[in-house]
Amino acid sequence: MKRVRALAAKELLHILRDRRSLAVAVLMPVVMVALYGAVIDMEMHDLPVAVLDQDHSDNSRELVRSLGAGGFIVETARLEQAAQVEPGFRRGAFMAALVIPRGYSRSVADGEPATVQVLVDGSDAATAAMAANYLQAVVQREARRIAAGSGGGAPAFTVRPRVWFNPELRSAHFVVPGLVALVLMMICAILTSIAIAREKETGTLEQILTTPIRPAEVIAGKVLPYVGLGALDAALILAIGRFAFHVPMNGSWFALAAYCLLFIVIALGAGLLISAKSPSLRVAMMAAVTVTMLPTMILSGFMFPVSSMPAPLQVLCRLLPATHFLVVLRGVMLRGVNWFPHETAILAVQAVVLLVLAIRSFRLRLE
Amino acid sequence: MSVLGTLVRKEFRQLRRDPALLRLVLILPVMQLLVMSYALNNDLRHLRVSVLDDDRTPLSRRLVEAFPHGVTFTPGPGAEGEAELGRLLREGRCDIAVHIPAGFARDVSDGRSPAVGLAVDGSNSSIAGRGAGYAEALLTREAARLATENGRPGGTPVKPAVRFYHNPELESRLYMVPGIIVILVTIISALVTGLAVVREKELGTLEQIRVTPVTPLQMIAGKTIPFALIALVDLILATLFAVAWFHVPMAGSPLVLLLGVFLYLVVTLGLGLLASAVSDTQQQAVFTVWFFLVFAIMLSGFFFPVQNMPPWARALTWLNPMRFFMAIVRGVLLRGAGVGDLAREFSMLALMGVAAFGGAVALFRRASD
Amino acid sequence: MSATSSTSTSVDGLAVHVRGLTRRFGDFTAVDGLDLDVREGEIFGFLGANGAGKTTAIRMLCGLLQPSSGSAMVAGVEVGRHARELKRRIGYMSQRFSLYDDLTVDENVEFFGGIYGLEGAPLRERSEELLPLLGLADRRRTQAGALPLGYKQRLALGCSLLHRPRVLFLDEPTGGVDPVARRRFWDLIYAQAAAGTTVFVTTHYMDEAEYCGRVSIMVQGKLVALDTPGGLKALTGGRDMQDVFLRLVEA
Repeated sequence: MKRVRALAAKELLHILRDRRSLAVAVLMPVVMVALYGAVIDMEMHDLPVAVLDQDHSDNSRELVRSLGAGGFIVETARLEQAAQVEPGFRRGAFMAALVIPRGYSRSVADGEPATVQVLVDGSDAATAAMAANYLQAVVQREARRIAAGSGGGAPAFTVRPRVWFNPELRSAHFVVPGLVALVLMMICAILTSIAIAREKETGTLEQILTTPIRPAEVIAGKVLPYVGLGALDAALILAIGRFAFHVPMNGSWFALAAYCLLFIVIALGAGLLISAKSPSLRVAMMAAVTVTMLPTMILSGFMFPVSSMPAPLQVLCRLLPATHFLVVLRGVMLRGVNWFPHETAILAVQAVVLLVLAIRSFRLRLE
Repeated sequence: MSVLGTLVRKEFRQLRRDPALLRLVLILPVMQLLVMSYALNNDLRHLRVSVLDDDRTPLSRRLVEAFPHGVTFTPGPGAEGEAELGRLLREGRCDIAVHIPAGFARDVSDGRSPAVGLAVDGSNSSIAGRGAGYAEALLTREAARLATENGRPGGTPVKPAVRFYHNPELESRLYMVPGIIVILVTIISALVTGLAVVREKELGTLEQIRVTPVTPLQMIAGKTIPFALIALVDLILATLFAVAWFHVPMAGSPLVLLLGVFLYLVVTLGLGLLASAVSDTQQQAVFTVWFFLVFAIMLSGFFFPVQNMPPWARALTWLNPMRFFMAIVRGVLLRGAGVGDLAREFSMLALMGVAAFGGAVALFRRASD
Repeated sequence: MSATSSTSTSVDGLAVHVRGLTRRFGDFTAVDGLDLDVREGEIFGFLGANGAGKTTAIRMLCGLLQPSSGSAMVAGVEVGRHARELKRRIGYMSQRFSLYDDLTVDENVEFFGGIYGLEGAPLRERSEELLPLLGLADRRRTQAGALPLGYKQRLALGCSLLHRPRVLFLDEPTGGVDPVARRRFWDLIYAQAAAGTTVFVTTHYMDEAEYCGRVSIMVQGKLVALDTPGGLKALTGGRDMQDVFLRLVEA
């Protein structure tokens, strides 16, 4: 134990001396939460919309006025003719256009159905779909207002929508658990593999191995400071999420900590395995980023829903520890569930397999 | 010119000798394009809908069937009571829960407008909001149809006629693929250039070249031209692939795209050089570039529209070259935009190119003090 | 070119002419008022303990570092004012043998030649002349990384000689090389000096210091001695250069 402590102390010194890596390790997660929390917003705001009012009536002006309510839309252009729509889309000046035809008001007054055109630049599909939904809703609300004025009937039934667990659809609630997974992967897998590969390259690993220390002690001493750093980062992210973005904690802290620890073991296993298999620091670095970090960002459901991916890719997603860890984290924090038998089993198996493989390949290298 | 030729030729020779790097810069981008294009989309797919039907009438069953069983919605597990419906949501076994109250059919025929419950799992907010909107629209349409059948037209004197330009099927892939191309070009040009320079620093060959009459400008040009060409090849490969495989339209002129790439590469290569100037080891260079990339991608509008950001973040995007190149690539490919349509983007890139490259040259010149 | 005008002001027969050369890094003075003259065709040994300021001095003489004060003329060019012209006239080889390991001998030669504007027939002639001399004639297609250290060292020397420099700076050129290879290397240095090239060399090997025409010893940024090896031995009463060095540095 004393030897492990000596090694861990030395590793900690390395970390503290390398200012830039330390800055990356501590500052990056903080800035990431702040930025991701602020920038990732699944709701629509200030969507630029152009209006072409060919009717110039009180009714049409009322429709235009009702657009701005709610802050989802800003009217950025008043068009004179339909030919201006397409060039505007091309310039990116606005993303949708509302065209109120001549005779709109008269049709409404005569009880004839009037058609309002909603033209949407579909190039950003997700935003376009939201914009179309919203504009349709505005037009329909206006239709209902006019119908109510002329004594029309009530709808057959109404829908009472409710969003659970995250009623305001705050993206931070959704992003913070993902960042915990990402940062644990980054610190525990990437930094560990880099640290070990560097010792291998400079020959200091061999130097240490000529001392009476056991391989397991080497690994433990090497890895412990990064466990600490990873845990610190996770705590930082959770604290920022809680105090700056009001991310709820509906489950138990104990369950959260236990699952984080399990995930740290997995990340360390991956980092060790990579460093044992890599011939050089450069390869270790590349491998660590492409095997651990990128998939965690792209395939874990961090931002992109796994259910939307094609089947072969979904298989890959389910092989990824982060996918299951994310289900657990979001479950604990947002849904208040503390026990996930399915995910726990998968994560435990992954942890054991990775650790055994890592220690085995490490031994092979040492002999 | 011949000095420059010597520097460029040497760089290509080294590339040829390093098959791992060559694979990395030529094959990996296409593979990444493929994986990311399939992975990075937020189309609504396979949302699991669980229904609790407390009415059990032909009318309520018709409402259940209103959810098309296909790409967007798939049936989730059934529930026997409200408590169980809640548990399904909590355990993440369904994404959307619909509750049709008892007496639904009677209330409809009596004109009492009963309320149908629609609950959405908001813990996955990337799809929750739109999923809820989609499901609500679906049910509302059904309500209007029912009202018409009952002889009481729900009062819709105004009908919205929706038309989508440029991407009529609203495939998010068409939007994501050009964005992925931008990111790949950025990584290749900034990271590989930065690494190549720092490696020479580590080996001492940079110092060796410094005692020769080669000027900083020549050295920088010799270092960047090969990687600019590689990035260009990557861009062409990726664009061809995007058009042929993902059917991304090439609505605008390839020449406009090339002009944009040229301006953008000046910026990213300059940034790569700046990163190498402040780094002593390849590890530091990687970290530095990576740090930049994380923020540049977030603030580029790649996935999260710029107009959606808070004002301070929106202001930051003005410093982000990726934002402008992203707009150019998407504009040219999807909307057929020309130089005039993208005047702001082109001039911002030109400005940043001068700044980044000028900064890099100045730093390299100062390094000899 | 303006640099040519400064040539005329050079001190006749001197390849290196240094007066009061000083370089400070913040509060630390790495080189402190260095005065030095090296004649053309001389082999000049530049000795000193690690951290004595040798490398800083050499970097200034090569135009890699601006002096804080003082002046230096190298190969007839004033250092710090006409860096490019200076670099055309000097060669530099460091202890790291800064070659491209993944390029062949020929490709390294072609690269460094090209950098000095040497190509085509003149470059071919020059490498035909140099490579056999360096014992590399039958290794031309070998990648530099695969060469034994002694060969690498000679290739690095060859690359710094391609453009026929007037002054050749060697910064610990024989580090890590076996005695036989070192002997062979010095034979090449003698040949260059005999052909009129001035050689300015730093080394840690005191037996090598004996090969130099004159030797200077630097301690804490200042020159403490400058004479022929024999003169220095007489001055300090040392048996050999090793002894001389220890006496001067520890004094």
